[in-house]
Amino acid sequence: MIRTFVEFLTRIVVLIIVILVLGLIVISALYYLIGPILPITPSMLIRPQEVLAFTFALMDTDLFRITIFPGFTFVVIYAAFVVLWERKLLAKMQLRIGPLYAGKFEGIFQPIADVMKLLSKELVIPKVVDRFFFILPPILTVTVATAAVAVIPVTEMWVIAKSEIGVLVIFAVLAFFPLTALMAAWSSNSRYPMLGGIRALHQLVAYEIPLILSTLTPVVYAGSLNLIDIVEKQSDTWFILLAPISALTFYICSLAELERIPFDLPEAEPEVASGWLAEYGSMNFGLIMGVAVYIKLYVFSALFTILFLGGWLGPQPLPPEFWFIFKTFIVTTFLIIPRGVYPRLRIDLLLKQSWARYFILALVNLVVAATAVLGGFKL
Amino acid sequence: MSLVGGLKEMRSDLLLVLLTAGFATAASVIMLIIPLIIAPKKPNKPKEIQYECGQIPSGAGKFPLMMQYYAYLLMFVAFDVMSMFLFAWGISIYNVGLSGFLAVILFIGVLLITLAFTLYHAARRELW
Repeated sequence: MIRTFVEFLTRIVVLIIVILVLGLIVISALYYLIGPILPITPSMLIRPQEVLAFTFALMDTDLFRITIFPGFTFVVIYAAFVVLWERKLLAKMQLRIGPLYAGKFEGIFQPIADVMKLLSKELVIPKVVDRFFFILPPILTVTVATAAVAVIPVTEMWVIAKSEIGVLVIFAVLAFFPLTALMAAWSSNSRYPMLGGIRALHQLVAYEIPLILSTLTPVVYAGSLNLIDIVEKQSDTWFILLAPISALTFYICSLAELERIPFDLPEAEPEVASGWLAEYGSMNFGLIMGVAVYIKLYVFSALFTILFLGGWLGPQPLPPEFWFIFKTFIVTTFLIIPRGVYPRLRIDLLLKQSWARYFILALVNLVVAATAVLGGFKL
Repeated sequence: MSLVGGLKEMRSDLLLVLLTAGFATAASVIMLIIPLIIAPKKPNKPKEIQYECGQIPSGAGKFPLMMQYYAYLLMFVAFDVMSMFLFAWGISIYNVGLSGFLAVILFIGVLLITLAFTLYHAARRELW
């Protein structure tokens, strides 16, 4: 608690020292990682053209891909922007105003304000929890969500890992989410998280199979599990025209997998008090609800774009990167809109719907696609 | 240099995915350390116990819970394997041809009969 000016100064000085030490460690580590691959010389300080050449060389390395563009920094910035967009959009839909005061124009600095607030809150860890497994889920959800980003191609060039089995990698990674929810629920040692965790387990598990089966239809049309191949096969016709039922199933199941309204039973505030997140506060909460959930939202939007909307393909003068991000953003908006409109489902209806309707809907379009492909339909 | 050389040799898809995940782990750990440094610490009794909307907690969270919807979890265990089987057929559809397609139609038929049977029993909540 800061009461006097001296305490405030001490806190600031400690913070500066910590940042300096951490920065030194990071910079020296980076120097030893990049140094052997790319030439960094002190003469760069006086010759700007060398810095430009160095920057272009740096942009071609895996390190840049992992940390900046299709990787972590890009998705975090996308997530921060989507948080603001979601709040403004829902406010406009419900004739409210939304965030207004942070930043001069329409509250554009609200995400930064949110992060600052979460960072300055006390990290409460109750005594009754299993400490290790309580601290693990926030880190693990971010890790798992970002691992899925690694195989998503923004364009042919901008992809971290060019995997031949991209679709399967994404589903293998996404299968970890019920585990983290259950881990958080059980280790919290509290009633509401327990109920929420059980709900999360049922829901995530029930909607995974229709999701996987609806992904199979574009895979059958394209004849490949490679996400880049799937996009290139759509140069004439987008798969949303050939597989509309699968696209619809995928959309609904992603809503459920993302735990968004109308499928937000695991974190329903009036029923189970934020469910499996009830015991988390400060940056613990920020990492799950602010970072991981929105990275996951990006993953599903990007996957929908790649599978059904032709990925980065679009009219020529604009760059392919623009088309991919634009389409992904449109899909994200459609994933947000139900939150402003629909009430919540009941859990028995939720589970029955998944198995009795979406499972069969996914199979219907799969059989149609297989018949078409075997009947000589060529893309 | 040995580290970088080793990384370049082992450069594969899996390693890149793991590196991305590792970077995210490091970033999130740093984000968890910042509040430990700058946030105030005021421990008190209510912060040490479970949160139940301000009430005194009704007990530990690890309690035997009636899993009314347990059957749906069991269905997942069976049908997830089957959906992966369909995936294996989906990518080799050009190779297995019409006979493979008929076999898969038969398989889906059996799947749907099983689905109807399990759904009927899963809906009987007094059973679980």
